[in-house]
Amino acid sequence: MAESALVDPSSPNLPPIDAPPPDAPPPDGPPTPWATVRRDVHVGVRSGLHTFWILARAMIPAYLLALILKELGVIDWLAHVAGPVTSLLGLPGDAAVPLALAYILNLYAAVGAMQALSLSAQQITVLALAILIGHNLIVEGAVLRRTGMNALFFTALRVVAGLSCAAAANLIMNAV
Amino acid sequence: MADFLHTFVTGSLDLLVRVFVIVVPIMVVLELFEGSRPFSALLRAWSRLVGPLGLTQETASPTLIGFLFGLAYGGGVIIRDTERHGLGRRQVFLMSVFLSMVHAIVEDGLVLVAVGASALWVFGFRTVWAIAVTAVLGAAATAFARRRRPS
Repeated sequence: MAESALVDPSSPNLPPIDAPPPDAPPPDGPPTPWATVRRDVHVGVRSGLHTFWILARAMIPAYLLALILKELGVIDWLAHVAGPVTSLLGLPGDAAVPLALAYILNLYAAVGAMQALSLSAQQITVLALAILIGHNLIVEGAVLRRTGMNALFFTALRVVAGLSCAAAANLIMNAV
Repeated sequence: MADFLHTFVTGSLDLLVRVFVIVVPIMVVLELFEGSRPFSALLRAWSRLVGPLGLTQETASPTLIGFLFGLAYGGGVIIRDTERHGLGRRQVFLMSVFLSMVHAIVEDGLVLVAVGASALWVFGFRTVWAIAVTAVLGAAATAFARRRRPS
């Protein structure tokens, strides 16, 4: 167990280390495996709670924003705007609805809307690629922002590269 | 308004519970396995695999977690590792690009395959696409950095 790689005493978010440091063995022999496991679980739970708190603080306001956008009719508007794009992917115009639902809300809302359309196997795969890459953009954008990245850039990347991936897949599937 | 509040409260609780039951076990499992022998083998395989993309060994845990469970969870591990030992901005950028293109294959991927999407395309093609986009944006970022700071 290379604890030295795990426990950096200078790190701010680690709990106080109750086991002795690895380079200074305790007087009564090396730590038992059970003690190591217990310490790892303890550190893991602390680290998990800390991360949960950070994610929650980023996600809940973003979720509220997504719901407000939905109330304001942004999903309908987006579905309207995305209509012409769907033809580039070989999809019917209705497919813009699951796409817009995925972008603003989440994958499950999109899958629900997909079920209401009659799509061919190829169309399901193409639409799946677009929404698997671009979904839950507001909530996940808030998390990306917390890692220090530009949320707007990554949101745009997921929409553009997701649609490009779907378009590329459609072209390849048409060709073969 | 009451409807809206109801949706927000139940939706938020749902989100919090989901994140909690996934993040805490992930962090415990990482704590138990990082530093173990199989994990070191994984790190070596990882650096060989993603070295050409410019990613280093320290990106293995966040990328693996994000790839399997989702962008938010990968992001959580990125935040943890940044706080613990610092991650280079370039590393975080490359990981975020890769994970933006392919993430949550366990849950999201299987949901879409269950409703009829082709597994080969959803897992195979998407991973290839993610590697290509990461390579292109990595090269673009290098060129951009060079133009801003001519050496």
